[in-house]
Amino acid sequence: MQFKDQLDFVRQHIKKNKLRVFMTILAATMGTAFLIVLASVGFGIHDTMRSEILDNRMVNQIEVYAEKMDQAEVEELKKRDHIKAVVYRQSVSLQQKTGLDEFIGENGLIVTDFKEEKKVGFELKEGRLPENAGEIVVGSDFAESLFMEASTESEQEPVTYKGSLVGKQVTYKMGLYEEPEMFPEETIFTIVGIAKEPAKDWMQDYNMYADAAIIPTLNPIFEGHVDDENSQLLYGNVNVYADKLENVTTVSKALKDEGYSVYSIADQLEQMDVFFLAFKAGLVFVGTIAILIASIGIFNTMTMAVTERTREIGVMKALGASPKLIQRLFLMESAWIGIIGTLIAVVISYGVSFIANLVLPIIVTAALGEEEFGDLSVTFSIIPWQLVIIASAISLTVAMISGWRPARKATKIDVIQALRQEL
Amino acid sequence: MIHVQELSHSFKIGKKGKEKQVPVLKELSFSIEKGEIVSIVGRSGSGKSTLLHIMAGFLKPDTGTIQVDNVHTSAFNEAESAQFRLTHFGFIFQNFQLMPGLTAFENIELPLKLKGENKHIRKKKVKDLLQHVGLTDVQNHYPNELSGGQQQRVSIARALVTDPPIIFADEPTGSLDSETEQDILLLIQSLNKTRGITFVIITHDDTVAETANRIYRMHDGELTERGASHAI
Repeated sequence: MQFKDQLDFVRQHIKKNKLRVFMTILAATMGTAFLIVLASVGFGIHDTMRSEILDNRMVNQIEVYAEKMDQAEVEELKKRDHIKAVVYRQSVSLQQKTGLDEFIGENGLIVTDFKEEKKVGFELKEGRLPENAGEIVVGSDFAESLFMEASTESEQEPVTYKGSLVGKQVTYKMGLYEEPEMFPEETIFTIVGIAKEPAKDWMQDYNMYADAAIIPTLNPIFEGHVDDENSQLLYGNVNVYADKLENVTTVSKALKDEGYSVYSIADQLEQMDVFFLAFKAGLVFVGTIAILIASIGIFNTMTMAVTERTREIGVMKALGASPKLIQRLFLMESAWIGIIGTLIAVVISYGVSFIANLVLPIIVTAALGEEEFGDLSVTFSIIPWQLVIIASAISLTVAMISGWRPARKATKIDVIQALRQEL
Repeated sequence: MIHVQELSHSFKIGKKGKEKQVPVLKELSFSIEKGEIVSIVGRSGSGKSTLLHIMAGFLKPDTGTIQVDNVHTSAFNEAESAQFRLTHFGFIFQNFQLMPGLTAFENIELPLKLKGENKHIRKKKVKDLLQHVGLTDVQNHYPNELSGGQQQRVSIARALVTDPPIIFADEPTGSLDSETEQDILLLIQSLNKTRGITFVIITHDDTVAETANRIYRMHDGELTERGASHAI
């Protein structure tokens, strides 16, 4: 029998029992839609948490800690495979004070390698990068951290620096936290550039950035006042950047194997992904139970179809229909119920997901208040194509299994008994 | 064409564990030649329908063999048997056994669909047969809209549509009035003559049996050819 004729045959029988087939499709639709919507919540929460983590950090960044970290060690790290950049930032371990005209501040000085910084997105909104030891770049919010000396003591709102920064000279002093007086030595820097605002709106950058060439100027001042051999002027942190996200794990693992302490967002994501994989699998499992309940309907419908058509099956077998063909026709009928049910369920699920993402934030905001929920961007439901594939596969498999037994029963119908049935 | 050798069959009756074997066919051996009309006549329960069911492959014999066109059909499995029926046999049943949800045209077309014939060939063959059996006007009628005679004609057309060499007719006129019965028997004779089709007619009616070239009489599972004095 040609495939088109088989389809015609199935279509004719479905038409004969429209209401019963409709109710069965409805059950299959509800089961599948329940699975998709339920699992979509898992996908939604996972995506929200991933976004929260990824928004705050650079994904291919690996923080590296070592007992002894110096420039030579950093240079060695740069030579490794899959490394895009190694940023070695050193901060001053002392109290710091800055001055610009009549304005004062307590901005920290960060010593870094601008060539490496540039590779990982350090950009200027104004000016240029330092070319010698006396030049610095300041953070985008540097001016806001400089207060007029007199205004800080009055009860009025402190006055911050409003003028232009590039070309201005900044005085820089260091001192011990435990002593009220700063070291008398004053270093003068010229601001040659202003860094671009951090990617996140809520982050503020008050720092000053200088090249490593500044170290020989600062070190003698430190050593002139601090005798303790164990203390040092600068403490540094190293961030290694992998060239691609997929290489983060390889680079991270190699560093770990060599005794470095490393932390990368990819490790955290990996752990979270494993947790959510289990969580989503659990939701799919619960959803599958709904489909299994719907499958009882398919089983009943198909069993009734076989019972009602016993005589017709007998005639077909008598005329020469093979048992395989009979089985295929009934399996196609249950598959048809599964396919239509799944298609409608997918459409409904996308609708429910869209409405949930539209309405639920409004309800939650109303319940919790704008302050608590306003900043959080939560996606309640996401239906990726993988979920559609998984749900469809489960739904169709269950539909086929439900139709299997009735179809087998149809093939076993005895021709002689069937032909004896009354019309 | 059909050679039956020492064919025996029995049914089990009674409750499980206390079953009794009731022999229905007892070592039957006979042949039916190509182009013949053969009647197997007998009372109810004589075993004639069982014989037809075994020859058609609906039932497997306990012992004995059946050869059709030198093929051992009694050794077939269910799928092989179905395939053989589709190409070699046509069936005319007492209750017509038409599909109630299909029109006269679609009922006749069904065996061709099972054979996988394309639509163009199906349409041509069914149209020709509808004309041959005089049902062109009612081709789009459903079985419940046709008279008994018309339904049997549809059934005959369905049996002919695959051009089988053998047609089994089980009480073909059992549900018809005497006038229609005559029409159907004449049609069978005409098809035998014009198309050379072998007919095996199972009947309890001697008048119907008379249509045949040869008559076998069935009694208590044994077969005698009319005129012969002993079982065959």
